[in-house]
Amino acid sequence: MDKIILDNKIPVIFKINKDTPRYAMCFYFKIEEPEKKAGLYSILNRLFLQGTKNRTAQQLAQELDENAIDCYSEMKQDFIRFKLQCLNEDFEKGLEILSDIIKNSTLDEFDKEVIKLKGEIQAELDEPKSRAMDGFYKNIYKDHPYGHTYTKILEDIDSITKEEVLQVYNELLNNSAKVISVVGDFEPDNLEMMLKKYFADVNNAESAVSKIPTPQLKETSIIKIEKDDASQAQIIQGWQVPTIYDKDYAAIMVMNTMLGSSGLSSRLFLELRDKKGLAYVVRSSYETYDKAAIFNVYIATEPKNIKTSLEGFKIELEKIKKIPITQEELENAKNNLIGKRQFFTETNLQQASLMAFYEDKGLGADFEEKLIKMINQVTTDDITRVANACINDPYVLTILAPAEYLKDI
Amino acid sequence: MKNIIKREINYPYLTRPVEIYERENGHKIVLAHKDGGLVNISSWVKTGSINENDENNGISHFLEHLMFKGTHKHKAGYFDRTLEAKGAIVNAATWKDYTFYYVTLPQGPDGTYFKEAIELHADMMLDPVIPEDEIGPAFKLGDDKVSQKRERHVVIEEIRMRQDQPWTKIYNSTNKNMYTNHPYKRDVIGFPETIASIPRETILEYYRTHYTPNNITTIIVGDFDHEEIVKKVCKEFDFKGRENYQNPKHALDTPVQEEKYIELKGKINTGFVITGWLGPVARDVKDNIGLEILAIVLGEGQSSRLYQNLIEKAKEPVFNIVTTDFYNFKDGGNFFVEANFKADKKDESISLLKSEINKILNNDLTEKEFLKAKKKLKVRFAEGAETVSDIAENIGYYMTVCDDLDLAESYLQDLENYTLEEVNNTAKKYLKLENSVTTVLLPE
Repeated sequence: MDKIILDNKIPVIFKINKDTPRYAMCFYFKIEEPEKKAGLYSILNRLFLQGTKNRTAQQLAQELDENAIDCYSEMKQDFIRFKLQCLNEDFEKGLEILSDIIKNSTLDEFDKEVIKLKGEIQAELDEPKSRAMDGFYKNIYKDHPYGHTYTKILEDIDSITKEEVLQVYNELLNNSAKVISVVGDFEPDNLEMMLKKYFADVNNAESAVSKIPTPQLKETSIIKIEKDDASQAQIIQGWQVPTIYDKDYAAIMVMNTMLGSSGLSSRLFLELRDKKGLAYVVRSSYETYDKAAIFNVYIATEPKNIKTSLEGFKIELEKIKKIPITQEELENAKNNLIGKRQFFTETNLQQASLMAFYEDKGLGADFEEKLIKMINQVTTDDITRVANACINDPYVLTILAPAEYLKDI
Repeated sequence: MKNIIKREINYPYLTRPVEIYERENGHKIVLAHKDGGLVNISSWVKTGSINENDENNGISHFLEHLMFKGTHKHKAGYFDRTLEAKGAIVNAATWKDYTFYYVTLPQGPDGTYFKEAIELHADMMLDPVIPEDEIGPAFKLGDDKVSQKRERHVVIEEIRMRQDQPWTKIYNSTNKNMYTNHPYKRDVIGFPETIASIPRETILEYYRTHYTPNNITTIIVGDFDHEEIVKKVCKEFDFKGRENYQNPKHALDTPVQEEKYIELKGKINTGFVITGWLGPVARDVKDNIGLEILAIVLGEGQSSRLYQNLIEKAKEPVFNIVTTDFYNFKDGGNFFVEANFKADKKDESISLLKSEINKILNNDLTEKEFLKAKKKLKVRFAEGAETVSDIAENIGYYMTVCDDLDLAESYLQDLENYTLEEVNNTAKKYLKLENSVTTVLLPE
């Protein structure tokens, strides 16, 4: 891994992987301004592929597809990132198109994209799991941009104007911190030359700071979503916990692995699936954004099992808080977590994405190595301590099920 | 090594040839090279819903779950715990033509994790106990007094999960109605009633019948010494003289001769539709390439016809999502057009989709679209060579569904030689509207 800084101060992290047929590149734009209306950044994100001053939406789609260039943008809570993937021989073509999208998007298709986004959200909300997740995030991040879920977007979208999206676009283009990462089989000098050619005029506001406030969950809430023809209840219970910037980041990751994300051997999987036959999918997860993070447990089960499942969660969560864990279980969880990281960083795109993610967070592109050291240092006491610190009131519990099963919850 | 036939295949985008070893008992071992510290070990069994009937539908998939429930050497849980503690991803999948089991993990110091994974994987494949207490007692569906809820209930929950997914619902309906006789008409996962009651002995018998040397291909992908690993696999995969089994040949199904339409209702807010056609057998390279091209031109990405004509250029919004899918199966693939639409626009949606199909049937495809699809297929092959798991899955598909890797070796050349005229003929051969089955799911 290596790093160069372009003249416009954009850091470029790169890694050479010989004999790989496709280049992968990520371009991160940090979101500094909190979203004032739910959907502003989502619409902008969609409009990035809907036409530039030089290409109509259709021309853009055709040119990318004809060259089998995979180029798209993704909007996350703290950043918008562009991903570019193509055969080595098409990289410069890809760069040229990407720079056109980044610099020259017209937003002309605003009205159409609003309609399309609404339609796609409605289709997505017909999936019970999406509906339940929507209810969960909207409430655990209530009144905060992180809680701008599908249903919140549907509430706000009709009040959003093209001018507002244009303003957000200009802000992002001119006043946000940026990071580029590239992984593939290339000559570094050649890469630098090409990046300068296409991105020298993009301004990097390297000292810009995110104005997104820190969310705070003040009280426990139970969200019930009725769906009378659901064969399964969807249950999510979650807590706000420390983020990637906290000293306990690695310890929470290990706790999460042990409880419900190691695969087939986690505690929740063994107790609620293997022994009690309550579910096909049961797991825990830990997701961190810049200003907040969530630890949650999830199960999908026959509606009449709702109470048994909640009881099962409670028992397992109390156990990890009260009963000291063994050194063996700790080591197993750490090895699982560290070993699996190789699996998630196998392709050029996965590597480029992770390096830029860490760099964007200000942790340094090589944070992965530090993280592995931090994971190795986690002790059994750390797990008990973070479990007690994280799994406490308040929390948000979301249950989607037929109405008759929600009455006594 | 004695009595092993070795062949080499030049698999596109891999830096070294893939080696196929066929043992005297018919068990095949395939080794592929990929740089990096990760290795993938998998075994593919030639059984899935293709070998099922109305009485045992779902047994292949249920058995897949039960294979993880311990061997005579190791109790249930040992396999998952031991390998996951080394950073492994372990899992399995069942489909119409095959069931496969895999482990992806770092090789570990001196390859120790890798070797242990081969031992545990072989032990699981060859010596499952399938204990009664892990299956759980047979029960009557709806009986609330069942105390021992074990794997039967886990699989029933998996069926419930699928019942709640609108796309799965309409796919199953269309799939069932596309066939008259072939076992492909059944949903791979089966029915709750069957899973609740099927006896252990029936499952064991099914295992003994189908998990035979000639029906299993073991694939290893990563950076390792081939000679050493092939010896290791041969040693661990000791079938102890297990008799071979030849899968019966099924008569290929003929498509419906008149358009078939099914309408379902649910508590949803948008409409879902899927139209399906029967496609060519997996070894018919040319017709499969034709339908792969048509799937891309019609429904893949924002430059596709369906997206451009039905969403981008729509005067008023009718569709939210339009896409295509093409699956290859041994006895004939499936081509699907899928869409989500505004709930009050059912008739318009169906007629618009039909008119797009009609255009394709009338040689409307352009040279530009044709070349775009070809390039995408080439890149898709390159993409499939980026991870040890993807390489293993592609090899597994060819070895199990196409019976050999020869078609992978020649794929890029076959693609290169394919002509626009051939695509047009393929469309007319398979995608006639009278041969299609459509299911629509609407709000109640």
